[in-house]
Amino acid sequence: MTAALTLEGVSKRYGDFQAVRDLSFAVEKGTICGFLGPNGAGKTSTIRMILGLQGVTAGRISILGTDDGRKVRDRIGFLPEERGLYKKMTPVDAIAFFGALKGLPTGEGRRRAREMLDAQGLGASKNKKMKELSKGMAQKVQLIASVVHRPEFVILDEPFSGLDPVNQQGLEAVIRQLAADGATVLFSTHVMQHAERLCDKVVLLARGQKAFEGTVAEARATSKRFLELEGAIDASQASALPGVSDVEVVSDHDGVRVLKAALGQGGRGQEALKAAFLGGLDVRRFELREPSLHDAFISLTGDNPDIDQSVKAGVEAAR
Amino acid sequence: MKRILLIARREYAAYAKTVGFWLSLLALPIFAVLGGALPALMMSSEPVRDVVVLEEGPQAQGLAAAVQDAVRLEQERRQTRMQEAAAEAEKQGGQAGASVAGEALSRLGGLRLQIVPVPVDLTAAAPGEAREAVARRYLGDEVPEADRLDSVVLLDRVDGKPTARVWTRRATDDTVEDFVRDALRDTNRQEVFAQAGINPAVVAETGRFRPEVTALSPKSATGGEVSFRDQLPGIIGLASGFLLWSLIITGASILLNSVMEEKANKILEVLLSSASATEILAGKVLGVALLTTTVLLVWGGIGAIGLITALPQYAGMIGEVMLQGGMLGYFAAYAIGGYLMYAVLFAAIGAFCETPRDAQTLMGPIMMILVIPLLVMQMAIRKPDAPVVQILSWIPFFTPFLMSARAPSEPPMIEIVGTMAGMFAFALFMVWVAGRAFRAGALSDVKLSWKSFAGAIRGGGK
Repeated sequence: MTAALTLEGVSKRYGDFQAVRDLSFAVEKGTICGFLGPNGAGKTSTIRMILGLQGVTAGRISILGTDDGRKVRDRIGFLPEERGLYKKMTPVDAIAFFGALKGLPTGEGRRRAREMLDAQGLGASKNKKMKELSKGMAQKVQLIASVVHRPEFVILDEPFSGLDPVNQQGLEAVIRQLAADGATVLFSTHVMQHAERLCDKVVLLARGQKAFEGTVAEARATSKRFLELEGAIDASQASALPGVSDVEVVSDHDGVRVLKAALGQGGRGQEALKAAFLGGLDVRRFELREPSLHDAFISLTGDNPDIDQSVKAGVEAAR
Repeated sequence: MKRILLIARREYAAYAKTVGFWLSLLALPIFAVLGGALPALMMSSEPVRDVVVLEEGPQAQGLAAAVQDAVRLEQERRQTRMQEAAAEAEKQGGQAGASVAGEALSRLGGLRLQIVPVPVDLTAAAPGEAREAVARRYLGDEVPEADRLDSVVLLDRVDGKPTARVWTRRATDDTVEDFVRDALRDTNRQEVFAQAGINPAVVAETGRFRPEVTALSPKSATGGEVSFRDQLPGIIGLASGFLLWSLIITGASILLNSVMEEKANKILEVLLSSASATEILAGKVLGVALLTTTVLLVWGGIGAIGLITALPQYAGMIGEVMLQGGMLGYFAAYAIGGYLMYAVLFAAIGAFCETPRDAQTLMGPIMMILVIPLLVMQMAIRKPDAPVVQILSWIPFFTPFLMSARAPSEPPMIEIVGTMAGMFAFALFMVWVAGRAFRAGALSDVKLSWKSFAGAIRGGGK
């Protein structure tokens, strides 16, 4: 596959502060790439460098075949983290204006704006002023404004923040549709569930450095699977089961405990269950859980000695 | 270029579509009309005061008659002036114009006091406290309105010199007091001259004499006698300077607020992903320039219509001065250079701020500097070659205003060319500096300070 975006050894420094360090990754055309990391990890700085809004301190960025994002800005759609539109404009005018800046004729921009607003359930609000819309509605309008010109590359910085679950689901559908229409999507988030459901690939950034690059499955594989056991058993009994380690007591009610344990690489849940029955353990619930991206995130960032408290805070936020 | 025009159009429409813009646009002409008409309206609506004049004894004999004579003479003098004005108006605007002008002048120019007969009880009262008690009653609200007086003048002599105690209904109304003072001064002069053996008719004749003094200058429009036409360029220059100052500051302030609003609403970053910082800055500067041009055209249009309608003879003269003296050219050049300098500076400051309070750090000193040309401009009209005016004209921040004001006084060509070149060079430098600061400020969360602003200029947002 051809890469729509390539970063090679990119670094960004603001005075004494190193925001991004030696970052390299690639995003293939027509794929959805999740750009993950806690707040302060360097995601926004990287996105600004990709867009050409800020220069790199070192390294090279290539997007849509050019080294300067500014040259292809008409082919890129961008939704910034902190959103805002002209409060006195109507959604149709705002969308048509930003479309026109990207080279879309105003008439066509207005037509598409109405169409897309209708599709997003905002048909009744298309002629209201932006200041009269709710935050969720305004966010939808801004998303439409960023893609109305049908860009080849879409960059969404924390697109899910501030949206209710229904709107988050709607946004996921929009992102899938963009990719289905052939656009390459790079979106940043610290909510792992969205990335898990949407992404062909994820890039994990922590403290300005890449912690992981690969598919969601590959990311999950970096983390151990978990067992959850419930019954009148204690931690030492669970630890004796084959392949089981790191047993943790989650709860204890009158001797009935919930235990959580890691199942190591090559460990099989069936063998552990068999051993438990053969050993006469009082197991009332036995659950094998595959690691989530969230678990992988903790695993990947937790193992990194460079990860600071801000990353830990991001992990907590992701939970 | 297309992006610049799109941003300019949005910027223009954002303000031109607001009611506030049109209200502020019409505010100046309305205030100008009110400013001119209110004093006249107040004067014409001023009531004619009923005044009684009494002598406080035989020693004051003749003073009441002197005051009454002064009233009569003043009314005759005003009547003559009105007739002369009406004749002049007839010459300029025909019979109808003369009639209207005469009527207007008679409303405005009449003496706002009249001598009325003294009430019997006031005459009968003994001079001093008793009479003043009666006077107080006539000035108060206890007597019927028809009998009420506005002023009671009690005339006397002290050491042979005329004096007066002037009682008035309103403590702050000094019209009668001033009139009586002038009348008594004239009376005293006549008496002194008479005592010196000079014929009163001669005194009156010398008092009426008005010498004919003619001002001449080889630089006047006719090459000889100086007329209002020759003062007109100076007046226009001063007006242009003030107008330019007002337009530039208004335009630059609009830009500052517009950029601040976009920064606060996080629109600048979206814009930057669609257009370069230079395109955004240029679009906004152009949009607001079109807005200020609209303001200028509307004000100019209203002014021109008003002038042509009310004072057609002056309208022609003003048009002639503005077209022949190259004033329009100067005005346009200084407007462009000045606007560019201040607009980009204000926009760059706005890019660092989300609220007006944030902008105070830099705006405070800048506004203080901007007051200087306002003060010096008036001096530039009277003394266009004063060293301080000449020196300040070379400072690019002041050049547009001071040179606009000085232009009608025909400063040396070297100064015109030099200051204009300096202004445009500095304006281009400001565009470069502000462009870098704007780019850096738009994406920065750093609080505005002189240090951060200077750092942004050095770094240029890279």
